[in-house]
Amino acid sequence: MANWVLKGLRTGIRTTGYPSRPERAAGVSPGRPHGASLNSIEQADTLVERCPTRAIERQEGGVAVDHRRCVYCLRCQRDGMETVAPWDASYEWATEGLDEAASAKKLQRAFGRSLHIRFLDAGACSACVSEARQLNNPYYNMHRLGLFTTPTPRNADVLLVSGPVSDAMRLPLRKAYEAMPAPKRVVAIGACAIFGGVFGSSFAASGGASQIIPVDVIVPGCPPPPLAILHGLLLVVGRKPPAQPVSRPSDQVMEPA
Amino acid sequence: MVMLERRVEQASFPERLAELWRRKWKGRVGAAFERDGQICRLQCPTKELPELCQWLTCDLRFVLATLIVEEERAGGWLLQYVFYKDSDTPWIYAEVRLSTLSQVIPSLSGLPDGPSFDWHEREAEDLFGLTFEGHPRLGEFVLHEDWPEGVNPMQRGFDAHQHVELRHPDPRWKPPTVVEAPGAFAMPIGPIFSDFAESAHFLLETVGEDVIRTIPRFFYKYRGVEKIGEGQMLDRVLLLAERFSGTSAFAHGLAFCQAVETICGIEVPPRACALRTVFAELERLRHHAAVITGICNSTALAVATAQAALIEEDLLRLTCEAVQHRYLFGLVKPGGLSCDLPEDKCNLLAESTAIIAARLRALHQMLRYSSSFLDRLEEVGIVSTEKAVSYGLVGPIARASGVSRDIRKLLPYAAYNATHFVVPSEQEGDGYARLRVFFHEAEQSAALMRHFLLSVPEGPICGAAVSARADAALAAVEAPQGATFHWLRLNEDGTVARYHITPPSFANWHGFHLAAENFAFQDFPIILASFGLSNAECDR
Amino acid sequence: MLTVQLFSAFFILCAIGAVAGFVAAGRWISIVLAAIGSLSALVILAVSALLLIGDASFRAELWPVLSLGTMKLAADRLSAVFLFVTGLVFLPVSLFSGVYLEKHRGHYSLGYFGVLYHALFASIVLILIADDAVSFLIAWELMSIASYLLVNFEYEREESSHAGFVMLAMSEAGTVAVIIAFMLAMDRTGSLEFGALRASAASATQEVSWAIFLLSFFGFAVKAGLLPLNSWLPLAHPVAPTNVSAILSAVIVNLGIYGIMRFNLDLHPTTGAGPGSIVLIVGSLSALIGILYATVQAEMKRLLAHSTIENMGIITAGIGAAMTFKATGHPVVAAIAMIAALYHLANHSVYKALLFVGTGAVEAGAGTRDLDRLGGIARRMPWTSVFFLIGVLSIAALPPFNGFVSEWLTLQTVLRSAELASTSIKVVFAISGALLALTAGLAVTCFAKVFAMGFLGMPRSDGATQAKESNWGARSPLALLAVACILLGVLPTYVIPVLDGAVTPITHESASAALVPPFFSTMAQQQENLPAKFIAEFHDLGAQVGSAALPGRGLVVLHRGEEQNPVVFAMSTSYTLVTFAVILAIIFIVFQFLSRRQALSRGPAWDGGLRHLWPATTYTATGFSNPVRVIFDAILQPAAGEDSVEAVARHFRTAIRRNYAEVHIVDQLVLDPPVRGLRTLAAVARKMHVGHVNAYAAYVLLAMLFVLILGVGVF
Repeated sequence: MANWVLKGLRTGIRTTGYPSRPERAAGVSPGRPHGASLNSIEQADTLVERCPTRAIERQEGGVAVDHRRCVYCLRCQRDGMETVAPWDASYEWATEGLDEAASAKKLQRAFGRSLHIRFLDAGACSACVSEARQLNNPYYNMHRLGLFTTPTPRNADVLLVSGPVSDAMRLPLRKAYEAMPAPKRVVAIGACAIFGGVFGSSFAASGGASQIIPVDVIVPGCPPPPLAILHGLLLVVGRKPPAQPVSRPSDQVMEPA
Repeated sequence: MVMLERRVEQASFPERLAELWRRKWKGRVGAAFERDGQICRLQCPTKELPELCQWLTCDLRFVLATLIVEEERAGGWLLQYVFYKDSDTPWIYAEVRLSTLSQVIPSLSGLPDGPSFDWHEREAEDLFGLTFEGHPRLGEFVLHEDWPEGVNPMQRGFDAHQHVELRHPDPRWKPPTVVEAPGAFAMPIGPIFSDFAESAHFLLETVGEDVIRTIPRFFYKYRGVEKIGEGQMLDRVLLLAERFSGTSAFAHGLAFCQAVETICGIEVPPRACALRTVFAELERLRHHAAVITGICNSTALAVATAQAALIEEDLLRLTCEAVQHRYLFGLVKPGGLSCDLPEDKCNLLAESTAIIAARLRALHQMLRYSSSFLDRLEEVGIVSTEKAVSYGLVGPIARASGVSRDIRKLLPYAAYNATHFVVPSEQEGDGYARLRVFFHEAEQSAALMRHFLLSVPEGPICGAAVSARADAALAAVEAPQGATFHWLRLNEDGTVARYHITPPSFANWHGFHLAAENFAFQDFPIILASFGLSNAECDR
Repeated sequence: MLTVQLFSAFFILCAIGAVAGFVAAGRWISIVLAAIGSLSALVILAVSALLLIGDASFRAELWPVLSLGTMKLAADRLSAVFLFVTGLVFLPVSLFSGVYLEKHRGHYSLGYFGVLYHALFASIVLILIADDAVSFLIAWELMSIASYLLVNFEYEREESSHAGFVMLAMSEAGTVAVIIAFMLAMDRTGSLEFGALRASAASATQEVSWAIFLLSFFGFAVKAGLLPLNSWLPLAHPVAPTNVSAILSAVIVNLGIYGIMRFNLDLHPTTGAGPGSIVLIVGSLSALIGILYATVQAEMKRLLAHSTIENMGIITAGIGAAMTFKATGHPVVAAIAMIAALYHLANHSVYKALLFVGTGAVEAGAGTRDLDRLGGIARRMPWTSVFFLIGVLSIAALPPFNGFVSEWLTLQTVLRSAELASTSIKVVFAISGALLALTAGLAVTCFAKVFAMGFLGMPRSDGATQAKESNWGARSPLALLAVACILLGVLPTYVIPVLDGAVTPITHESASAALVPPFFSTMAQQQENLPAKFIAEFHDLGAQVGSAALPGRGLVVLHRGEEQNPVVFAMSTSYTLVTFAVILAIIFIVFQFLSRRQALSRGPAWDGGLRHLWPATTYTATGFSNPVRVIFDAILQPAAGEDSVEAVARHFRTAIRRNYAEVHIVDQLVLDPPVRGLRTLAAVARKMHVGHVNAYAAYVLLAMLFVLILGVGVF
């Protein structure tokens, strides 16, 4: 047993400084596509055409990117593309739900700084599950921020939903939401939970959590990295402002704040 | 010399197979070779099917890869039972045709290797509406009790984008249970677990303390990937192939691309082959690190969990640094890869994996001397070799039970035949054996990565562009969890006519109940963690 | 004298009760029987109260018997304690019978039941007031036969006959042992009057004393259901009508204890530490084995029967301690041990009657008494459940209920073994203390299971789903017994002096002053009983707090050690009750205050997102107790039979059946060998029956020859 204690001590503290300080380690986030100012319409059209989920849209002076619809196929980046969308290295992506007015209103201070979180997998590809699980690893250690998981939605403040909501998970999702005491918030993580992702709306999936229950905060990404999920949770407790999900050609490319 | 002789003998296997077929089946079962003897098709009348499959599995020691069901354009059904053995023997497709009128086929679940057919038949029954006569239990498998009767989503007439009105089942409905004893009860676990876990449901039947029977219910996450892929363009279906199981995205994307490459006859350049191998091994390494984290966590060994979790996160960051995505999405494409790995990144990967392999070894060493940890794993959750064979288990789970079958060795793809490696295997089949296999494979993955990274051939990373043909092909890849089989039929216009995935978790979840029976309640999470399976992968 | 008149009235009432069942008709039969039964019980309560608290005495002479002395009746305070407990049980049980017997009307003769019931009651009272061996034994036999017939009341059921037969056979064997013991004790005087026996006890040789002890102790142990003679108990209880089960467990087993106390502490007191140690070990082992089997039981009546064995074990352990302390010259501690035993006896009778009657009510409401098929009764039968819960808390020995007081006293007394000189006896006490502590722990598990599995959760059968609350006729006996449980629990300081009165004639030393020192009344008086250092200890404990507000004695105290270094153990259930009440009130008020602005919403229990839970997804009693079954596998050998598996397609199992064949370890080790031997012997003897007259004539001749030889040889 002493070995383990020693091993733990020798490893030292690895925890990120976020949210007090920005995390600059390489690979914590894949970054996100950003709106680009382009001169030629053809270039813009190529980008728009390349995007399988219509996240890229033509706008005056170039293309705008709706990050919420991005599934990280990286096709606007790679594969012999001459024109590539600029890419920012941020991870603070969480924003209000698709019904922005309602979520913004609901996000008024309802909680103190601590949250109890119930995670629910509604048909996710398990990359989201894996990223959410990383929140408990020593790098992110969400406990230090007063964020805890709870086994039952009865004690939960936040329902963390991933996946496009498969048919069989519709009932459990609704039951879990109803079992939560008020005030309660729903955080949808990943493209699937936001709009159905690559699975869309079909006979087997509902096309996003908001089709079943009201969603207050969304964390775009496929999958969103742990820091982005953390940002979403901090947004719920009002410790961080929401991000701008749509980047226009004129917007500045952001660095991690 | 001995080696050489064996090779000669096996090289002529198609002929030998033809000879065997002539002796036993001529006149009863038609046979034809395809693709230079790589595929052997046996046209089999319905009534001969059980005997033929028994002959293939018991006498010739072939292994079931998958069961492919197609609704033919002319009407009627084509069922292909696909078997494989190794690179020297052809794939065997046992084909059965059914008219539209009769949808009844004899079930093969009564054969000695019956369990490996079992779930394939249940799946086909649910999704296609076929009836497997003599199957012990059909229904409520992929589609749950609230799915309307007689609606079979994989049938051609079913629109993938329609909304299906679910039924309200009988309020007294409950899943069937089998234990009859005074005071017997069932402990329900899930579908919503108490931690960050995937959705599945387990009913543990018990009279207290020891679990007599585990009844799992899966497909809570069924997203109909195979159905919604139909009629879509290839690049679209590639997104589905990668994203139905995010933690093994590269392996499944690779399998899909290999199927496309086989159909279209695309040659993959050597650099792409080498890098594909590197990424596949990187994914395996990260996946196994995650499973090891899970096992440590299930035994509540906090420091070990933290150490393994650090390794896992370091690998994720490393991956992201190298290829801009933490889970290797968007990397593989038909013909090669979508992005190259520059020299500096190659070196970074090679160096970092060497360090991570050393950390894993150190962790393994420490775990081996933690008796409290070993107590929870040793002789817990045993799957015997015999059962592993009959259930057709694959991957690390099978290898921990003494079945050292590995697609990388048996049917080499990418650059696997360009190197020598020994497939790790254990005999005990308990939780500790599985842990050892995960550790050994992870270390081996790191070694393989270094081997290929230090000698990546120069050249392009992508072959010819896709030129669609109307044809079908099956590709096999050793995903982190074991053998996966992607079968694809393309239309002339480059859209997908039919797509069928047999993921490794599908085979291994079937065998899970073997391990989770006759053990104490409190061992259940440990057994679950030691399998390290994915529901997303199984459910599709 | 009032007592004589009351006893006469009681016997007359019993006689009326025996006849009344045949005179009344229809619904009235059970009402009349209940009325007469409870009236008789009231008379007994009155007369025993007079004997216990007042200065009354009772003595009557009947008629002389041959040369064995005169048949006499007398009641001292020890008898009165047992009489009081008997009355306390018979009163509610008679009331309950009025409701319970209705289901048998028309099928079995209720008049016949009336005869047996009142004969049993009368014989029990007769046993308790017999003052000579002859009347004692006659009453004893009457009681045995009446109880056998009552157990066998539903004679059409196969298992009743078997259980009744085992009960009768074992009881008769015990009686024979007791008769021999009496004959050995009388040897010199020739009189079987208790007075004469008492007088001659001292002159018996050691060997004879040992023989008398062993015969009488194990003879009476049959009735008390002590190891290894307890097989009849778990057999007889489930098959007997529930009101009879209550009498069996709450009164008849007490008679065994009465016999042991009367014989081995009063008439022929044991000498030396040996007998006491045997009694102590038998008691503690009975307690442990009893509770182990109770814990793994799911059938409520059988569970309660096993628990009776446990409680009798605890009482017997107290008696064993008393014998040892008395024989080794510690009369005060002996008195405390006896008080503990008597207190536990009274408590056990009350809560066991409560639990049996409660079981009867549940069975009437839900149609089953199998815990695996019950569940959710608390919602459907709220009153019954509350009363039952009081019984459960009492039997689980949780403060401030009555079981706690007597178990605490018993355990503390066993701990007093430090004062004994002999190391080997100390070891015996230590082992028995450990066994009793384990028993107490298991008892909590056992009865947590009973209430949780039977009354909480989801109903597991249609009967339990549709259970109906019983009417007040059935609930009033429960209420009566529940009140008795609480009173006996919170007023030990008033009960102990009364019991002390019964014990003092035997131990010749009063324990009252030591056990319940009068702290608050007059501080001056206690000086002679307690050294100053002790008083300082109590003040440190806070004993004087509330002396102004709380009248009387509040603390039960055990102390030992030297004057300068006192070790004090004290407890007070009455204060505990007050504290509980205050804490609960504060919590309630605070909760009300905190939640005054919040809406309270109730929802179903979280089911993990499953469509719904169904009864089979909740813990069963068997499942709850399975860890105990596994841990004590070596002792219990619950014989979990083989699993039989049905499968199709080789691997797909459609049914797994696990069959239990329960064999009691004691039966297996102690009773089965002689029974098997007898069977073999009988099989051999059967071969003699060849069916020829000649053969039988030869047997007669041989037998005569044998007798003649024997006669010549002996005389």
